[in-house]
Amino acid sequence: MKLKLSTYIVATFGAAFGLASCSASGDFPGLEYAPQMYHSVAYEPLTQITDEDEGSWLSSREDGKGEFYNSNPNNPHGMNMREPAPNTVPRNNRGLLPYRKSVADLEGAAGVENPIELNDEVMSQGQQLYIQYCATCHGSQGEGDGKAGEVIGGVANLKGGAYIDLPEGHIFHVITHGKGRMGAHASQISIERRWKIVHYVKQEIQKQ
Amino acid sequence: MTIKRSLFGVIHGISALLVAFFLFTGMAYAAHPDVSDSEDAIQAGQSLFNANCRTCHRLDQNYTGPALRGVTERRSLDWAKRFIVNSQALIQAGDAEAVALFREYNNIVMPSHDFLSDDDVMNLLAYIEYGDTAEASAGAAGAEGTAEGAAGGIPSEYLTIILVVLVFVLLLILVVLGLIVSVLKKYLSQDQDLDQDDKEFIDQKTDIKKVFTSDAFIIIITTIVVALVVKTALDGLYNVGIQQGYAPKQPIAYSHQLHAGEYEIPCQYCHTGVEIGKSANIPSANICMNCHMHIQNVDGKEGISPEIAKLYDAYDNNKPIEWVRIHNLPDLAYFNHSQHVAVAGLDCQTCHGPIEEMEVVYQHSSLTMGWCIDCHRNTEITTQGNEYYDKLVQLHSESKDALKVKDIGGLECAKCHY
Repeated sequence: MKLKLSTYIVATFGAAFGLASCSASGDFPGLEYAPQMYHSVAYEPLTQITDEDEGSWLSSREDGKGEFYNSNPNNPHGMNMREPAPNTVPRNNRGLLPYRKSVADLEGAAGVENPIELNDEVMSQGQQLYIQYCATCHGSQGEGDGKAGEVIGGVANLKGGAYIDLPEGHIFHVITHGKGRMGAHASQISIERRWKIVHYVKQEIQKQ
Repeated sequence: MTIKRSLFGVIHGISALLVAFFLFTGMAYAAHPDVSDSEDAIQAGQSLFNANCRTCHRLDQNYTGPALRGVTERRSLDWAKRFIVNSQALIQAGDAEAVALFREYNNIVMPSHDFLSDDDVMNLLAYIEYGDTAEASAGAAGAEGTAEGAAGGIPSEYLTIILVVLVFVLLLILVVLGLIVSVLKKYLSQDQDLDQDDKEFIDQKTDIKKVFTSDAFIIIITTIVVALVVKTALDGLYNVGIQQGYAPKQPIAYSHQLHAGEYEIPCQYCHTGVEIGKSANIPSANICMNCHMHIQNVDGKEGISPEIAKLYDAYDNNKPIEWVRIHNLPDLAYFNHSQHVAVAGLDCQTCHGPIEEMEVVYQHSSLTMGWCIDCHRNTEITTQGNEYYDKLVQLHSESKDALKVKDIGGLECAKCHY
């Protein structure tokens, strides 16, 4: 009787503390219920499991690897993402071709016209994009006083005399390739969005 | 005390005067005599400086470009003017001083200022030589101000202190009560004229063994223990499969508190996919390098910080940084960021919590189905600029609740599970 009771007690405590340690914290993601439904069979963005033995305790895979092994062995670094094949040209649904002026061709860029029609919607989108991608350094009013810009130093005051009369194509070119201490932003902002920012900068920030 | 203080004040005042005197006399000899020191010229120069120079130059410190005060002493007036108006022309003409300066400052091109008239340049020089002597000290004061501001928010520590003090006070009261009881007991036991009942009452001893073996005690303790065990077990069961609080160590100790909090960099600057795709995206090293090409350490320290060195290593050797994914939605559920951010207009913090305060990012929300559904039941949809929903919105405003996500299929199984 006594033995039985103490067994029960130990079992209950054990179960309680065992379960309490299931929750996630720090490096431990927590215990999974039905892990086969959680882990993706297909390659997932931003995650890969390179350990071939992970999940081998419940593996039903034909290649004998662990159930959760999820990494592309054919690509560099096992990544899913690859650079586009050379000499291929991306086109979007509006038919905008990639911008091809070389970094040094600032003068040629000055003649490029803004393909996006200016209207109120474009302006409000341009404002939002400006806040997201530019204001950190150039400041919300374009005066070169953004918080990160103060640390980097040498951020252009878009209202300053050297910049205020620059043509739209020049601004687009600089966003695309960077200039001086500014880095290239082509990988972050699509062509269409860059031209919307140009509209906002020209119409609002550099309004004269 | 007061004498000491006034004495200190006098010394302080004298030293301040001396410093000001030296500064002033130092300046008076430095500048070229043609540079005006009139108030108007300085004022005009200041606005020109703020518009065109301030982002790269300071008067008294080297910044992106050199400190400017004293330039008309170091160089000829004509040279200074030509450099300001078009430095590249001067450099390309092979002027030795200009070329050396250009090299010293990492070949950073100073834009030409050919729109400035000769008067403008002279006003600018007036400000550079005579303007704002307090600038340096103002900068230092500003830094102090922010440091104080940061130290303001520590209520949790106060709470602990208050609790400890409370416990201490309670213990003290217990001890005092015990002392009072024993003193009273001693006093009463000296008294001989007590009843038998009273004597028993005074002499009674709490039998600890009896208390422990009493039925009431055992029942209470058992109930408490069982309740606690059951609660832990249930909590544990509910936590299976939930990664709330998961805060893995990342390959680079990147601080959202510093970047998104202190420097207010918008989330979308790095997480570029959040408005246009399923995933918000983790930025590649080239996005980090937009700023870290120039920022090599925190708080203006010298050298390269060890964490930023890891970034340079990845960038130079074309190695991906293997960040650990924190929010792992099960494969059985589909989620799309753009639908929630671009269409619904939700803030990132709605689901990800106070990211801008996190030194190490943790999973803020439970990401359970109940959590999703709860929000879909309570959230009104934004329909501005979308005529498709106009009639539905109108119908809902007339008859029942406002148009919620649940009313347009937000609870359909196949919206997320397919």
